[in-house]
Amino acid sequence: MNLIIKIAWRNIMRHRGKSLVVGIILFLGATVMTIGNGVVSAMEKGLKENIMNRFTGQLVIMSDKQEQDNVIFTPLGTDVEIITGFDKIKKILSTQDYIDKYLPVGKGLTLILNDNSDVGYALVLGVKFEDYQKMFKNNIKLVEGKLLGNDDRGILVTSGSRKRQYDEQDFWLQPEGVPLNDKNLGPEALANKKNLDVRNSIVMMGTSSENTTMDIKMDVTGIVKYSYLDEFWKNFNIMDIESFREVFNYVTSTDVVTQVPKEKQKLLERDNFDSLFGESVVEKVDTGKKDYDVSKLIGKRVIRKKVNVDSGAYNLIFVKLKDSDAIDKSAKKLNTTFKAAGAGVRAVPWKKAIGQLGDIAMIMRGATIGFVMLIFFVAIIIIMNTLSMAAMERVSEIGMMRAVGAQKSFIAGMFFAETTIISFVFGGAGIIAGAVIVAILNSLNITAENHILQLLFGGDVFKPALDAVDILIGVIELTLVTVLAVVYPLMVARRITPLDAIMRD
Amino acid sequence: MNIIEMKNIKKNYPLGETVVNALRGIDLSVEEGAFISIVGPSGSGKTTLLNLIGCIDSPTEGSVKIGGEDITMLDDTTLTNIRLFKVGFIFQTFNLIPVLNLLENVEFPLLLMKEHKLTKEEIRDRAKKCIEEVGLKEYIDHRPAELSGGQRQRVAIARALVTRPQIVLADEPTANLDSETGAAILTLMKKLNKTENTTFIFSTHDPDVLQYATEVVKIRDGLIIDKTESSKYLKQNGAKTKSGAAKAQSPVKRRK
Repeated sequence: MNLIIKIAWRNIMRHRGKSLVVGIILFLGATVMTIGNGVVSAMEKGLKENIMNRFTGQLVIMSDKQEQDNVIFTPLGTDVEIITGFDKIKKILSTQDYIDKYLPVGKGLTLILNDNSDVGYALVLGVKFEDYQKMFKNNIKLVEGKLLGNDDRGILVTSGSRKRQYDEQDFWLQPEGVPLNDKNLGPEALANKKNLDVRNSIVMMGTSSENTTMDIKMDVTGIVKYSYLDEFWKNFNIMDIESFREVFNYVTSTDVVTQVPKEKQKLLERDNFDSLFGESVVEKVDTGKKDYDVSKLIGKRVIRKKVNVDSGAYNLIFVKLKDSDAIDKSAKKLNTTFKAAGAGVRAVPWKKAIGQLGDIAMIMRGATIGFVMLIFFVAIIIIMNTLSMAAMERVSEIGMMRAVGAQKSFIAGMFFAETTIISFVFGGAGIIAGAVIVAILNSLNITAENHILQLLFGGDVFKPALDAVDILIGVIELTLVTVLAVVYPLMVARRITPLDAIMRD
Repeated sequence: MNIIEMKNIKKNYPLGETVVNALRGIDLSVEEGAFISIVGPSGSGKTTLLNLIGCIDSPTEGSVKIGGEDITMLDDTTLTNIRLFKVGFIFQTFNLIPVLNLLENVEFPLLLMKEHKLTKEEIRDRAKKCIEEVGLKEYIDHRPAELSGGQRQRVAIARALVTRPQIVLADEPTANLDSETGAAILTLMKKLNKTENTTFIFSTHDPDVLQYATEVVKIRDGLIIDKTESSKYLKQNGAKTKSGAAKAQSPVKRRK
């Protein structure tokens, strides 16, 4: 072995030019690979932190009736099935020692009704807001107004939704008593500030293909922003769960009984609302009709038809695990328990639940890995070619070694040692250089300007980072490249016979 | 006892669309401890014959036995081991390892001989002794590039002899040496031939070299046309020893 290494090292020094070419390629490849690993790692960590830890948890529980696992970014108008029997599910979740916490939420698309323009829309999450903030690390930041308490009623409109609402429906949402802030007004709203149609509430109507819904007037309590990936989440407005249930008519007979005095129930069941209230406070409206006039509904409560669901209805339950790496294992375990208990729900890993966002992230990650692989592929070809040429130029030397008794394995070992030394020295330096660049990039706090960059960065700020595993992966990749690059030249060198050396001389 | 036995050896080389018949049916037996010179014009098949004996090439037809073992059917590993343990090869050109110094070049085959379990000191001592015998003691740390052609040839000879092989094959071994060094090398070979009973087979045109041989094998057009005692051959051919005229016939010089 010493002899092989001695000859290999001296050959490297003798053929400095070629060694340098191979070395520089390995250096650059290792540097790019290390940076790529840092980016991919950051993306992975960023997505985990910003989506899993701040929006979905590790698992998302949904109804068994739900066909698609993708429940977060569903196409507009597609319902997420209702989870019934939450009490039963709650009992199960509370007894699983691998579950850290969970949060039931309502999720749906509402129409925003307006008297002077087209109907708008807004995605809403119905939650107990304080619980939501506890679960997701205070992910929601206040821009204007105030946040909700667990028992408060109201809606928190995101800055993004407010701007879109203004663009589509020409009114500006502002929490009551909060003066307009020029900084928060978009350029158009600012230009039109004097004539701005400012409103403190919106009329929302849930959309559902299964049951009828209700239109209710919601007070805008606050304007908010998501701490991370706001560009992606900005369409999700937050409202209290009770209002959410009312909007989507997730109320039961019991609820109605609670709301309506007993003596009036008969009247309700007879649909005789006007006679009950004596004025048009409550109207029964068929929104499917062409002559449906939204302006008549503003500020009025409209009950259409009650839906037959259990109390405490939700659409999704976000679950955080004690071991955030045991996602698949925990999902399997939980699903077995749900099935045995006949809970009518299933747990899905967060990546499946976020659907296209996860796919895009995966594509971005794949593209980054592909780019690194492409660089390595090119490096392999160049190194392979250089080493093959070197083998052919050393026919006399190799043939003579074979003539005096060196086995093919000795020749192979010599070539492999040469490449390994170059790879170790230059590739190692490349990994170190890559790690330094990653550290520098990390300290620069480069911010993402668009959605694609946000996904690539795994958040709003570019924070590539390397840990021991990433470095180890780098070393493994480098070893793989070295081995792949040396295979063909090795075969060429092994095939050289003493006769080749004699013939050449 | 015959250490080499060749029967009906034929060797053909493809050359484009034609075939060159380098050897056309050679029978040769060499006794252990022989000191044989192969002579013949350029292209007669001398080098091919040496390559076959040295397990560097394989015949198209016929059998070659080294120490009673037929080598024509052996695999590459076994043939390489025969080259390492039984055969010493001195090439026309020097073929040293450029990155190793003189001492390391001579040590090289010994370092490959793991089965002998020689210690580092033993290897070094044996290599140094061989280097001393070829008169290069003071160049021990020099790389091949720092040596003259003759010095390099002497290193190659030392490397071939250091393993104390049973057979030493040499293709024009003294072609690049001055007559004094050539004589010293041949004396060393002769000494080994007598003391170790090493078999020497070398191709040459040099009458000074032929003087040392016990037998001369004359080859032409791939066939052995004569096998005779050296003194008889020299007398028959009227070759002058220690004369520039004879050396001028050297194929090496002709190529130049």
